[in-house]
Amino acid sequence: MPPVSTASLSNTSRIGLWLLLAPILLWLSLLIILPHVDMILISLQERISSRNYSFSVSNYTEFFTEPLYWNTFVRTAVMSVIATALTLLIAFPVSYYIAKMLTGRLKTVLFVLCLIPFWVSELVRTYGWMIILRETGLVSTFLQWLGLADQPIEMLYNDAAIMVGLIYTSMLFMVVPLVSTLDSLDNSLIEAGYDLGGNSWNVLKEIVIPHAMPGIVSGCVVVFMLTLGNYLTPALLGGKDSLWFTEQIYTQFITRFNWEQGSAFGMLLLILSSLIVWVGLKLSKQSFSKVMS
Amino acid sequence: MSTDDHSNPLSFDLECHNINKAFGDFIAVDDVSFKIPQGSFFSILGPSGCGKTTLLRMLAGFQHPNSGDIFIKGQSVLHTPPNKRPVNMVFQHLALFPTMTVAENIAYGLKRRGISKTEQQALIKDVLERIDLPDAGNKRIDQLSGGQKQRIAIARCLVLKPDVLLLDEPLGALDLKLREQMKIELKHLQQVFGTTFVYITHDQSEALVMSDQVAIMNNGRFEQVGTPQELYYQPKTPFVASFVGDSNRWQGKVSTASGDLLSLTTENGLKLSGLPASSEPFKENDTVIAYIRPEAISIIPVTENLSTVSAIDNTDDINQCHGRIVNILFDGARSQVLVDTRCGEPMHVSLPQTGHHTSLSKGDNVTLQWNKKQCLCFRPAESNTSPHQNLT
Ligand SMILES: Nc1ncnc2c1ncn2[C@@H]1O[C@H](COP(=O)(O)OP(=O)(O)OP(=O)(O)O)[C@@H](O)[C@H]1O
Ligand SMILES: [Mg+2]
Repeated sequence: MPPVSTASLSNTSRIGLWLLLAPILLWLSLLIILPHVDMILISLQERISSRNYSFSVSNYTEFFTEPLYWNTFVRTAVMSVIATALTLLIAFPVSYYIAKMLTGRLKTVLFVLCLIPFWVSELVRTYGWMIILRETGLVSTFLQWLGLADQPIEMLYNDAAIMVGLIYTSMLFMVVPLVSTLDSLDNSLIEAGYDLGGNSWNVLKEIVIPHAMPGIVSGCVVVFMLTLGNYLTPALLGGKDSLWFTEQIYTQFITRFNWEQGSAFGMLLLILSSLIVWVGLKLSKQSFSKVMS
Repeated sequence: MSTDDHSNPLSFDLECHNINKAFGDFIAVDDVSFKIPQGSFFSILGPSGCGKTTLLRMLAGFQHPNSGDIFIKGQSVLHTPPNKRPVNMVFQHLALFPTMTVAENIAYGLKRRGISKTEQQALIKDVLERIDLPDAGNKRIDQLSGGQKQRIAIARCLVLKPDVLLLDEPLGALDLKLREQMKIELKHLQQVFGTTFVYITHDQSEALVMSDQVAIMNNGRFEQVGTPQELYYQPKTPFVASFVGDSNRWQGKVSTASGDLLSLTTENGLKLSGLPASSEPFKENDTVIAYIRPEAISIIPVTENLSTVSAIDNTDDINQCHGRIVNILFDGARSQVLVDTRCGEPMHVSLPQTGHHTSLSKGDNVTLQWNKKQCLCFRPAESNTSPHQNLT
């Protein structure tokens, strides 16, 4: 092929590449990178008087000196870790059952059943939980009807309610990666595990879990990030005192109109959660690229 | 086989009594019984879908027979789960654990036995040396070649010293050259370790080369069990005759059934004599199927153009017919010629590479001769072609 036509060919294909990349680049730069850069800039300002700002890190030091903020963050992180662990514990047997025990039609049906709750918005789902758990809700009425309780019981606005809501919201994001990694586990490996003398626990620990590790870790990363950054569920199910870190950010931006402090909290949430994920990856000896592939 | 059963019942590593297995209406394994003496290489040979894997999985414990019993070293294992049975299995795709190194793969079974770390190391080192891969211990599975994986999979089982090693077409995934090599190596490993091997395959050359005993399986039944020589020279059923080795086949009617030999006339009028191989004697006018192997036929070139192309010479123990070469299928040592005898399908005849037949070419007239005793006659079997359906 003559060099001219190769050049023109590669030129057109390069234009094609840019056209294909354009939407994602626009999306990344306009919605992710720009706002974050702006947020960093805002977070490093301090208002001296109206329309008069100066550079300062006081918004960040505020986070570490004011125990309320710091405690809220720790509480949010710990609750998120627990929610992630519980989600994994519940999702793993479910996924194993779907991927390994079932075949054909039933498998698809069960998998779709796991997806169906996510066809309605998170708001509706959370209200669903409120209908079930509130003082005049289903559970309370049912317990009274049974005679197990003599007055209405409030089951909303506590940590357990938040936990239930968070796990429910996160389930899908754990089940999908788990089912797909477990699906790719060859049945003969499991049989070989038994054949060589292993019991169910040995097979699970030495064969199934090592194979499913990328799915487990990617599920956990996604669930943890979603939980940590969740606003709706803790706010609605936990009530005023849910002490979720996203609510602090909301308060700064909306109630106090302190954008500088809110931006600093936003950045801190990003940095600290990335740090926790990084530590988690190191502990589980997984690399980020392997997990996300 | 039957006389010394009672005197020494433990000399059989594996015994199966009337094993049956059905999936719904479909009978996958139909009343199979066999005994395997200690330390022997036993193959189960059969076409795809005849129930070989199902049978092997019942021996390993992954499936339960509907009826019948399995004894290993004289003990019934019917109610023993797979992880407690003294058998190990080499899977069709080997099933080496990809998340572990070679040494960890081998250690997996040893750990389950509660063997100490140092002893594990010694055993692993020893078995790796015996399979000729002393430095493979730290390699990952995906760093091994196909043949090496094969040997690791076998070593992983043999290190546990099972009473019986089950192998499910372990050479199926290898290329031809490697397969030839592994055949010899497997036989060698079996002799070195002295373990009883039960080997299933649909490749007859694998079964014939390696085995002490071969069972021919068809539609869930054992058609015949015997040494490779017996199966090749004395097949007992038409299926065995056609499945083991190649054969030319004729269908015809018995014309005379007196004496040792049978005279028959094929559908196309060819007159032949052959040895009856069915247990029931033949009567006149019975339908009969005759087989002759391509390698049992000798070719004699004819120089003058014969007018009667197809004729029978009734020499005492020689069948003879004439024909014309329609094709030469060159395949090195397995070369064949196709000879049109004007009696049905062209006959396949082996072309010996001794140098006598280099001048043969397409269109030549030849005379074919073979010993009457090598032409085997069977009754046509009923349930031979269609899959076996549930009769109960
Ligand atoms: N779990 C099952 N459910 C229903 N039918 C089955 C099942 N397993 C095997 N079969 C049927 O039993 C028959 C024998 O299967 P099997 O796997 O034993 O064949 P095979 O001799 O090992 O064949 P191949 O050489 O192709 O591996 C097949 O017709 C198959 O369709
Ligand atoms: Mg099979």
